[in-house]
Amino acid sequence: MKNTYIPFQMKVKKIYTESPDRTLKTFDLSYLNKEDKFDFLPGQFCEFSILGKGESPFGIASSPTEEDILKFTVNRTGSVTNEIHYLQEDDIVGIRGPLGNWYPVEKFKGQDVVIIGGGFAFTTLRSLLIYMLDNRDDYGKITVIYGARNPDLFIYKDEIKEWEKRDDLTLHLTIDNPVKGWDKLTGFVPTVTKEVSLDPTSWCVVCGPPIMIKYTLPVLTELGFPDEKIYTSLERRMKCGIGKCGRCNIGSKYVCIDGPVFSYEEIKKIPEAL
Amino acid sequence: MIKIKKSDFSTFITNLQKNYSVFAPVTDGKATAFKKIKSAEDINNKVLNTKRSPKEIFFPQSEVLFQYTEEGIKVPKREEKPFAIWGMRNCDTKSLLLLDKVFGEAHQMPKKDMYKDPYWKEKYDNCLVFNLACNKPLSTCFCNWFDGGPFNNTGSDIFVIENDENYIFEAVSDKGKKFLKEFKTAEQVSDKEIKKIEKLKETAESYLAEKEDISSLFSKTKEIWDETIWDEIAAKCINCGACAFVCPTCHCFDVSDEGKGKKGKRIRLWDSCMFAIFTKEASGHNPRSQSLQRVRQRVMHKYNYFMDNYDEHLCTGCGRCVVVCPVNLDIREVIKKIIRY
Repeated sequence: MKNTYIPFQMKVKKIYTESPDRTLKTFDLSYLNKEDKFDFLPGQFCEFSILGKGESPFGIASSPTEEDILKFTVNRTGSVTNEIHYLQEDDIVGIRGPLGNWYPVEKFKGQDVVIIGGGFAFTTLRSLLIYMLDNRDDYGKITVIYGARNPDLFIYKDEIKEWEKRDDLTLHLTIDNPVKGWDKLTGFVPTVTKEVSLDPTSWCVVCGPPIMIKYTLPVLTELGFPDEKIYTSLERRMKCGIGKCGRCNIGSKYVCIDGPVFSYEEIKKIPEAL
Repeated sequence: MIKIKKSDFSTFITNLQKNYSVFAPVTDGKATAFKKIKSAEDINNKVLNTKRSPKEIFFPQSEVLFQYTEEGIKVPKREEKPFAIWGMRNCDTKSLLLLDKVFGEAHQMPKKDMYKDPYWKEKYDNCLVFNLACNKPLSTCFCNWFDGGPFNNTGSDIFVIENDENYIFEAVSDKGKKFLKEFKTAEQVSDKEIKKIEKLKETAESYLAEKEDISSLFSKTKEIWDETIWDEIAAKCINCGACAFVCPTCHCFDVSDEGKGKKGKRIRLWDSCMFAIFTKEASGHNPRSQSLQRVRQRVMHKYNYFMDNYDEHLCTGCGRCVVVCPVNLDIREVIKKIIRY
């Protein structure tokens, strides 16, 4: 029997500092042993651990199509994330995963997809976006709305520049308040979502801070998106990641095994989900 | 059904110890708990509900998940003999079935094996459970509400009844049958004794408080989720978590690293949904920051969420929480209040 509590080792291959205030860093990890390599789909997460310091769950930011690496973007906020930020290239870390469910990419096939993200929660959305771009012919129109408090707080800035150049992708970038030199959209994500004329027959994936999700989902309903075609990813404090330790439940659903991806239809049935 | 004389009990336990690590209720000072015994003399067969539940045999309050050094990760080796637990009561044997749903089975996802808990399974799967009948249940017992009873044997391998100078044994599971096969020479129970057992059972059941019909509990808990009844219930609770720690079915835990330099261990420790930091995220966001939300979580988990996931209530009516609650918040009263709301 597999012991899911035991992490396997990965090596820090590359570190990117995402924001000038250095609170956001991205880590590319490479497998030390080939047999540890696992299959996953966009939306799943891993428990990232530093032995002696603890472990925390993070969404996988790389796409399954990017072979040989796993990417995680970490906001420095607590004791484990603090230790993660101290990592240097070639350091060894522990990984458990893949855990949880995924965005229903099979259902998206041949259909238009809208991705709505906020701040550093764009991680699993990056996984989804890269996955769809790498299998571009399988999907219809792809639209992305991505908001951050200010231009510094977008993650994957180099890649955003590449995405802007593509003609098979519509990208709307927005910041909360006007900043000198910013020539793109200004306004909160829910407002922008209302304004950019989305096609409500598309599938929609929303991920961001709780407050953003809370106010964006009703806007999508207003625009005519059916609940069962809207998906979001929820976050709760977690330990085991396999439905035992009991802290990530929302009603009878456990975010670690029944989620983290839920449809708006499911969310409406669980009190306190948002 | 066979019987063993009480005067032979010590030999029985010694023989049992040849193939099993034997756990039984042991009294230390004023408190009784299930502990690994050295000999039959350690056992207290008089106590009904041990202060702490026997879940700790399989799911200890703190348990090392693995040790790490520079060379890598090592899972601690378990002692070789399987566990035999003597003297569990029906409320506790039943709790093992409920915990096995969480730790042993895994219901939600494909690739089920990865959701099984190896630390639980290695102890639970080969164990032998002796369920001792309760001849005189306590005033706090309410196992009958949850279809348990002083003479029920769900979740056990061998059912044991104390009758005068004998222990009467009855096989419940296949494991139990196999075990009792080795007692071919033991004396069979007479018809007269079977009648006596019926009598003992009746007497025992008469000690229990009136059975409450809880068939509406599941649907009712769902209906009242947003109602003010939770203010009344939560007003009394001080969120101490004692109920969760003595509960035979509470299974929440924390995972923590202890170490220095490149050497240390990862352990898991009992935790409780009663504590404010239980769900507090690093960002400061806390989905259950208020006492009311946490009390509601515990009651809902027991009588609604678990039912949703596993078709059972996560409570066996052992009454331990009724005994230890420092503010006399009686879960039976809470259930009644909810049903009648």
